[in-house]
Formats: sequence, C-alpha cells, structure tokens
Amino acid sequence: MATTTSTGRSLTLRRVDSVAPDATVRHIDQLDDRTLERFYAALEGGCQLTATGTDLVPGTVVVATDYYRVEAA
Amino acid sequence: MTEYVIIGDGISGSSAAETLREEDPESSITVITDEGEALYNRILIKEHAKGKLPEAPISIHEEDWYAERDIELSLNTHVTGVDTDEKVVHTHEGDEIGYDKLLIATGGTPTQLPVDDSDAEGIHHFWTFQDARKIRESAEAAEKGVIVGAGLLGIDFAAVCGAQGVEGKYLMRGDRWWRYALSGEGAEIMHEGMREVGVEPVFDSGVDRFETDDDGKVVAAIGPDGERYECDFAGVAIGLTFNTEYLGDIDLEQDNGILVDQYMQTNLEDVYAAGDITRFYDVLLGEQAQNGSWGSAKEQGRIAGVNMAADDEAEEFEWVSSYSITHFDFPFLSFGHPTLGDEHAERKYSDTEWRRIAFKDGKVVGGVLIGDLSPQSKLKQLMREQRDVADQKEVLLEETVDLDDLAPPQEQ
Repeated sequence: MATTTSTGRSLTLRRVDSVAPDATVRHIDQLDDRTLERFYAALEGGCQLTATGTDLVPGTVVVATDYYRVEAA
Repeated sequence: MTEYVIIGDGISGSSAAETLREEDPESSITVITDEGEALYNRILIKEHAKGKLPEAPISIHEEDWYAERDIELSLNTHVTGVDTDEKVVHTHEGDEIGYDKLLIATGGTPTQLPVDDSDAEGIHHFWTFQDARKIRESAEAAEKGVIVGAGLLGIDFAAVCGAQGVEGKYLMRGDRWWRYALSGEGAEIMHEGMREVGVEPVFDSGVDRFETDDDGKVVAAIGPDGERYECDFAGVAIGLTFNTEYLGDIDLEQDNGILVDQYMQTNLEDVYAAGDITRFYDVLLGEQAQNGSWGSAKEQGRIAGVNMAADDEAEEFEWVSSYSITHFDFPFLSFGHPTLGDEHAERKYSDTEWRRIAFKDGKVVGGVLIGDLSPQSKLKQLMREQRDVADQKEVLLEETVDLDDLAPPQEQ
C-alpha cells in the first residue's frame, strides 16, 4: 500500500518597520481561525510556523500589534 | 441570462460579484459604487492614516479585475432610486439599470456629531480611503487632537494621534471606553494603552460644541461642563448611519439596518442585502443581529451570491466574527456578540491580560480577549457548537482553556 507523507513548509515571521509599496499586506482579521491561531503561537514560540493548513505565503506582511513579514525558513 | 445588480463595492458587494461570476458564468453582473476607486482594504486604511502604510498595498482590486471577469463596474455613480416593481435601479446620471436580482451592500456613513460647527475644517470622520488620506494629512500637521466616540471606531483616531505625535484628549461620555462590552478592569488596560501613546482618556465628558477660527478651522472642543480642549485636529466616531435614503419608500423591512434572513434575503422578492447594512438572522444567536467586521461582510456577500445564483435557499450564513485592535503593545480581540447575552464571566490575569465571555441561554455568544488571545479558537468552537457551558465558567476562565475539562454535553 502506498503511503504519502506530507511535510509542511516552515515559515518564519520577521518583524519589520516599513512596508514596500508592492508588498501584499493583510490585516490579522483577514486570517482564518486556524491561521490566526498558528500566527499567535508562532509569535509566542520563536516566530516559526508550519505553512500547512494556513493561507500564509512568503512575502506577505501581516499587520498585528507589529508588522510581520512572512519568510521561508 | 440572469441580470444581477449590486449596489456597493465594499467587501460584501465585491465578494458577491466574485461568487456570482463563479456560480453563474453566463450572467450579467453590474456593480455600482459612489466611490471613485474600486475595492480597497477598509481594515488597513487606519494604518495609512497612522502614517505607517503606503497607499498601494491597500488597494485590493484594480478596475482590470472586474473587466477580466466581465463584471461591469460603475464608479462615481450615485443610485437615486430603486423600483422593485419594475426591477430597475435609477442613477444620478439618469440611467436605468434593470435587474433580475438585486443586492444592496451600501454600508453606512459616519454619523455627524449633532453640535455646532461639527463640520468645521479639521474635524474628521473615518470610513473611506479618501477619509484616511485626509486624516493622515491633517494629523501630520496637527499638535493637539480631540477624539469623540468611545467605541471600536473611535479608538482608531486615538491610534492616529499616537502614531502621528498628536497630543490627544479622548472625550468619553461614560466612565470607560466601550462600556457595553468591557468592565472597568478590562477598559483600564485599554486606557493605559492610550496613555502610553500620548492620548489621555477624559471620562464623563463629551463635546457640546466646537470653536473655530476666522477661517472656519477647528480650534477647540467645549465639553458639557464648559471645559475647553484646544485642538487643531478632531476625530468623531459616534456610529454609522446606514445608507438607505436612496431606497425611498419601497416596502423594505428595516430596523436600524435592512432585515434579512440567514440567506441574506430581504422581505422583497429578488432583493438581497449584505454587509454592515444588514440586521441579519444569526443562526447561532437565534435572533437578528448586526456585525461590522470584515470577515462577516465578506461571508455575507458570498452567501448572498450563492443564494442569488441558485435562486434558492442554498446556503445559510453562519459565522463567528472577529474584530482586532492592533494599535497597542498588547493584542485585543472581540468575537461574536460580546455586548449581548444574559450573563457573563470575566477575569483579569495581569496588567495587560483580561478576558470576558458573554453567554445567552447558557451558550457562549461572544467575548473579549485582551493580551492573551490563545483561547479564541476554543471559545469560538464552543459558540459554533452551541454547547451549554455557562455553568462551567471556571473552566473557561482558566488561564489555559482545556475543553476536555468541560463536562460532556448532555443528550437532548
């Protein structure tokens, strides 16, 4: 029986002070519940998060209490 | 070919247009808006006003987006009337646009303070991108600000003052900010956040009138006790007036908003409504409710689109909304209907951490989380499941909420 293993990409959140005009920016209220939960967990746990199951992609800036750019780990 | 007309190009109208195109590829879709620009991100415009975010990332749709989907977009177009018998929308240019199904998604307009000189130069209301541009420009040049409106919209002005270095006085009618959802303990955390950015809350206050200079520019706000607050910038956010004037005397059921069922249908055949303007039937709450959050408006637009295309009650609106405040060092999240309910539980955990949960008929219907947002998904889950948990408040107020600690649901 064939099995498939899915390994989630790891992402990092990096706090940024400014945003480029061509950046994709999302407010935290635009994140779905699962993404929001992982986002906050990542902030508390060293800014690493698994992309699987979230709709975050590298390059996106998320507006929370600070601005965070999503980057590939 | 079915002809759909959508009045309003906010997130609900745009979401409906996108859904309709997917569900009914051969249809005709027209979106009418009185604004001069296509859909933008309304929850990010406060960041622009604060001076932190450039304009470009706030735009969501270019006009090409509509053309690529064969959606007719009419910018700068005021609807002057709707004839629901003839199924025609009238515009200020004298055009008549026929429809088979109509969606009303025109939201609201900030309510002006009913006092003298409330339209003076330097006094701002905050709703559109254009408002945000003017607020940014005005705040950048200002030294002293006054804010009126102790709610979720007013606090954005406090943040603008803080970010732009404007010394602010936040005049509140009661003894705390958002008194309908926060107790004194919770509100004090927010007050401290305001103070830290240079905005001083002033309680049991308000504005009786504004003073202006010879050029008509605001120079002060006068409180009900005669106290004079110098200002060259003022922000007023005392609520929204829903944009329904153009609907005239059509027999549309309204009650501080357009009444719709869980399918976004009004009482008039083939007329739907979505977004801030609705008072919708909330299936989780079991009664009509309102919500001004981005996610709720987007989902209402999608649901309206699905049901309009299906010409049926194909999908109902079921949603737990979220509204965040990101202006301070600590996060703030309001979910569901925190101002409703028949009982509540709350606890303060630290100088920046507080939680309140609202219950109705024993079920979670909303809440406010300050500082620690980790329980949000579990509390929302309980709300969706409509579990009877009001008798287990201690479990829900534990610093770490573990739903396994709740007694199992009783068989009905």
